[in-house]
Amino acid sequence: MRTFPARVDPHFDIEEYDPEADLMALNMGPQHPSTHGVFRIKLFLDGETIVKAVGYPGYLHRGVEKLCEKLTYVQITPIFDKHDYVAPMTNEQAVNMAFEKLLGLEVPMRARVLRTILAELQRIASHLLWLGTFTLDIGGTIGGGASLMMYTFREREMILDLFEMLTGCRFHYNTHSPGGNRHDIPEGWETAVKAVLDAIEPRLDEYDALCDNDIFLVRTKDIGVLPPDLALELGQTGPVLRGSGIDHDLRRDAPYHAYDLVNVKVAVDDGCDCLARYRVRVAEMRESLRLVRELLTMIPGGPIIGSKPIKSLVQFKAAKGQVYVGIETPRGELGTYLIGGGDQRGAAPYRLKIRPPSLHAVAAVEYLLPGHMLSDVVTVLGSLDPIMGEVDR
Amino acid sequence: MSIYEQLRERFDLPEEPPEGEPVVIPVDQHVAFATALKEAGFTLYVTVCAAHFPSVQPKAKKGEEPPPMTTEAWEVATVLRSVGTGSETFAWRVRVERPVVPTLYSLFAGADWQEREQYDLVGVVFENHPDMRRLMMPEDWDGHPLRKDYAIDTRVAPWR
Amino acid sequence: MSPVVHALVIGIPLVTFLMGGAAVATWWERRFAGRMQTRFGPNRVGPAGLLQPVADALKMMQKEDIVPRDADRTLFNLAPLFPPFLVIASAAVIPFAATVGTDGAFEATGAVAALDIGILWVMSLAGLMVFPVWIAGWAANNKYTLLSGMRMVAQGISYEIPMIMTAMVPVIFAGSLSLSDIVAYQDANGWNALSLSPSALVGAVAALVFFLASLAEANRIPFDIPEAESELIAGVMVEYTGIKFGIFMLAEYLHTIVASALTAVLFFGGPSGPGPEFLGIAWMLGKTGALFVLIYWIRWSLYRLRSDQLMDLCWRVLVPLSLFLVMAAAVLVAGGFA
Repeated sequence: MRTFPARVDPHFDIEEYDPEADLMALNMGPQHPSTHGVFRIKLFLDGETIVKAVGYPGYLHRGVEKLCEKLTYVQITPIFDKHDYVAPMTNEQAVNMAFEKLLGLEVPMRARVLRTILAELQRIASHLLWLGTFTLDIGGTIGGGASLMMYTFREREMILDLFEMLTGCRFHYNTHSPGGNRHDIPEGWETAVKAVLDAIEPRLDEYDALCDNDIFLVRTKDIGVLPPDLALELGQTGPVLRGSGIDHDLRRDAPYHAYDLVNVKVAVDDGCDCLARYRVRVAEMRESLRLVRELLTMIPGGPIIGSKPIKSLVQFKAAKGQVYVGIETPRGELGTYLIGGGDQRGAAPYRLKIRPPSLHAVAAVEYLLPGHMLSDVVTVLGSLDPIMGEVDR
Repeated sequence: MSIYEQLRERFDLPEEPPEGEPVVIPVDQHVAFATALKEAGFTLYVTVCAAHFPSVQPKAKKGEEPPPMTTEAWEVATVLRSVGTGSETFAWRVRVERPVVPTLYSLFAGADWQEREQYDLVGVVFENHPDMRRLMMPEDWDGHPLRKDYAIDTRVAPWR
Repeated sequence: MSPVVHALVIGIPLVTFLMGGAAVATWWERRFAGRMQTRFGPNRVGPAGLLQPVADALKMMQKEDIVPRDADRTLFNLAPLFPPFLVIASAAVIPFAATVGTDGAFEATGAVAALDIGILWVMSLAGLMVFPVWIAGWAANNKYTLLSGMRMVAQGISYEIPMIMTAMVPVIFAGSLSLSDIVAYQDANGWNALSLSPSALVGAVAALVFFLASLAEANRIPFDIPEAESELIAGVMVEYTGIKFGIFMLAEYLHTIVASALTAVLFFGGPSGPGPEFLGIAWMLGKTGALFVLIYWIRWSLYRLRSDQLMDLCWRVLVPLSLFLVMAAAVLVAGGFA
């Protein structure tokens, strides 16, 4: 049984610890190249060793939850494209699944399989972007990290091209809707997907080779150790939780979409450190490639959107109640807590709470950073894969 | 035996779980309820959602006296999840007429930031929380934006 | 020829070459990195983008010169002057060409000042390099530059030790501190790092250690922790704008060129090589260029070490290894194997 160092108390009194104010208080962010957006960490440094870290999110707070209270269910989807701007596809799915549960809408099988394929493609694209930016954090913008980032962006672009074929948009798709999807599969899309998968698969081996060196290992191994019990308490999900050795993946454990048709092999690594999180994400990319291949052969015929008139306000008026739906996005469990029956004569949510996996992930920095060096801040933060648009909403 | 039946033996819950919304429990049982769930395997802290229900005048039926105003209330819903195969969520609510709810920080470290966010946006104070500051809005912000009586169309700060 | 005239005749082309080389190096590095990263690099200004350095320099001169309010103005403005000066001065003793001497023997020439203690000159100037960086880090009155300056001092004085130690290996072989004598010795007995004699084994390891140490001295990846833009943004250069920033950048490129030239002279024979002596300058430029390419190849492939890991590598591996190499070289020379 592995023993972990005692848990850090993030609220300990720094003035009591350091009455003479000998420590250097360093504000990292909000304008800093490696905080993945506008996250601010206040660090108390003893030399270069971190004694205490305090996180300050909120610099990108746009009041999405308040905005949702004024819009109808159909109007909300495009807003969700913008909140986790690296994986918009899965955001749309998360919020639309909550609407479907509240409104009691059935999604046709064709749309469910299509959503699964889109979610897996989005997972590959998101993890590719993460891999590039993570190595950028370790290697610097002038260095090996930048090289890997250019490669991963090349592959990510291929996947975005696939989404463009389907929806007409590279990024803000607005392709999901309560009750189904808006855009049906265009002609030749499956062949294009297969071609992209075949192109990406060998290149993942090349990325492994680029990351398989001693410098990468010493920079990530035993850095940012997150014990499993703390990971659960903090509400970590997705690759961060699985990198802490907990075998939990909603795609397998609470199947939604068409995940019950396929056998998802969950990547788990009990290293609990940045290296484990890296390994989990790379393994997930390979698994997603396999899943998309398998799902492409299973697309049934039929409509992609339910027959009910989803835009009718009459139907929404009946929507009272409170539901919680969580799905496995590339960053973990993106949940929506939804209270129905608000403005717009009952067609808008009364209260919509987004449960962003990234907010839980960045909350961990206060526990992970103390004891590490200044250089490890960017490694730890990068390995948690926070998207500030999602953290602050 | 389902988790709901297990909990019903220890807490004062309705016979059947309510349809379409989480069960409401008294606020003084909030922490004990969360402890029982954590012991029953719901170890993953998922989320907390506070909502504001202002005092409103319900519509009167034709020819009748208008019913009395509803009292202002806050609801705090907490969601926990069990991990591994067959993972499921369990959500419950507490409904209070004064925005004060005990914190779950001692059980779940993740409640720290989540409860700060709810305090910031909805204005529900979590008792015994070690660090009840605003999380998203500026420190000197007036009011709690997600309250229903928060005026979103008026100018609230000189720079806007 | 009087020393002053000699210095001018050789010094002016040398400084011109170094400055022009540094400018071309910036262009070349960006093109090279572009090719490595499946993109183009600068290719719009002039033929193949060759005028890009000129455009960059013009742009930097036009930028507003900002001095932070709380900075120490004098030191802040003074600090960027020193790095290019120190680097160019250390290049003065490097022999760039070869001739046949009066006695018919090979002779390495072309140094602006062929000092008898050439290697000490180079090492002492390299030791001074930490001062302008520390001054810049201190004077800007910014926590990031201060951290960067402290890292630079720690790294600079640590890596000097293996650098000087391994530079002693060719000195022991050649029995002289003069760089010309070291080249002449290599012309007679084979290159220190590449030959069939048993001493080449010691020489090759010494060359590797020296190369790593000069990477650290020149702040190149994987040892560029003082700049470390992931966490320190741009290190000591955070507060510098315009041409002062440009001078720091120029000094970095100059430092890389001089470090390559020095490695070439000490371990790869410098201007010596097969063929007639007038090819010496081509050999020297070729070897320097090859090492320069290697440095940038490493730069665009590897990640960065952490500062404490960098110190570990120096004090636990390179310093003992270089001590051992000096002893091994002495034993080889005393035993008559070299």
